[in-house]
Amino acid sequence: MIEIVNLHKYFKQLEVLKGIDMQVTKGEVVCIIGSSGSGKSTLLRCINFLEKKNEGQIWVGGQLVQDTEIDIINLRRKVGMVFQRFNLFPHMTALENVMEGPLTIKKFDKVSARDIAFAYLDKVGLADKANEYPARLSGGQQQRVGIARAMAMEPEVILFDEPTSALDPELVGEVLKVMKDMAKEGMTMVIVTHEMGFAREVSDQVLFLHEGIVAERGTPRDIFELPQHDRLKSFLGQVCLTA
Amino acid sequence: MINNILEFFTTVVVFTPKFIPGVFMTFKLSVLSIMMGTVFGLLAAMLKLSHNRLMEAFTDFYVTIVRGTPLLLQLIFIFYGLPQLGIEFNSFFSAVIGLAFHNGAYISEIFRGAIESIDYGQREAARAMGMTKYQTLRRVILPQAIKRSVPALGNQFIIAVKDSSLASAITITETLMLSRQFVAATYNVFPIFFIAACYYLLITSGLSRLLLRVERRFKIYER
Repeated sequence: MIEIVNLHKYFKQLEVLKGIDMQVTKGEVVCIIGSSGSGKSTLLRCINFLEKKNEGQIWVGGQLVQDTEIDIINLRRKVGMVFQRFNLFPHMTALENVMEGPLTIKKFDKVSARDIAFAYLDKVGLADKANEYPARLSGGQQQRVGIARAMAMEPEVILFDEPTSALDPELVGEVLKVMKDMAKEGMTMVIVTHEMGFAREVSDQVLFLHEGIVAERGTPRDIFELPQHDRLKSFLGQVCLTA
Repeated sequence: MINNILEFFTTVVVFTPKFIPGVFMTFKLSVLSIMMGTVFGLLAAMLKLSHNRLMEAFTDFYVTIVRGTPLLLQLIFIFYGLPQLGIEFNSFFSAVIGLAFHNGAYISEIFRGAIESIDYGQREAARAMGMTKYQTLRRVILPQAIKRSVPALGNQFIIAVKDSSLASAITITETLMLSRQFVAATYNVFPIFFIAACYYLLITSGLSRLLLRVERRFKIYER
């Protein structure tokens, strides 16, 4: 589904990603963990070209993505994204936010776009908030709208950039529940997260990033119960979830 | 004393309706220069933010010229100066072009500020969905930016109404020119200019009420 080969990313002189390789197969849930500054978010943002990589290859659905406007737009239509800070469009209602993709990008007519949007809002449990503006919604509700907005494009993969990091602790659960349901239904997901319990429960593959390289990768069992790397051990110790 | 007051009122009563053609001209100049100025301003703001060096330099040049020279000079230059280069417009067209150009430069700065104030995450969210740059601008950035620019835009519109009086310098018979003609004919200075001032106040206060309503309508989505 997605294959990343030898990805390098520099910010000015600073090398943030030092040759990342990763594969995501269809239906897989991949969690990327690591301390802040390890390059997790940058890696995720390189996948859909929100950050331009300096070196390396990104393959999506068996095709090499070139650094051209057309290739990038095609890639983004297949790869959805959910942001840490939600980034809902404040001048549109929840329903209009979710409709926007089908309407403007997929050029569906208003009625079918509305139907699709409503179905996805219902899926994230917010059918009753369809006509509210984002400012009237809680953080958890906003993020669920953000997820519905990504799903409404019916992408092949969804990238999650720390989807619960900006939420009050009591609102984290409702967002994780929606994500778990998506995982169960076979959605391919790449998730940058600090929620170790969640990563352990839903992921098929976990990547531990440290100083711009994949320091360790494996099943949740490998990572959380049999960590090899000292850095990973101390990282898991810090987040208080070592097995 | 009584006589003076009486004379004031009779002049006001007699001359108020005679101002209509001048006020109509002020209105026409204002509306046209505001509309065209907004279009110029939006275009210039787009070019300025286009990341094209040539276009940026062009809009910088435009804004510098317009902001750095007096409007009165600009109007006189267009009407009396340009014909020497073989570019000739009638007085009305000169006035509209001059005022619109002038307003456009200020409005472009208003739009640019508003567009740049939109959170970068908005652009990212739109682009990450697969929108083109143009779709992002039209569906996400501009609706929010225009809303944010309404207060400053309203200010500029009111200035535009008052600035239209400068068109009197290039033979346009608008409110101010007409009042000077009436004064020359009657030597009755105070009541005539008093009427002119009232007409301006009427237009500008009507406009600011309209703008307030627009602002309120835009506020729906802020909690």
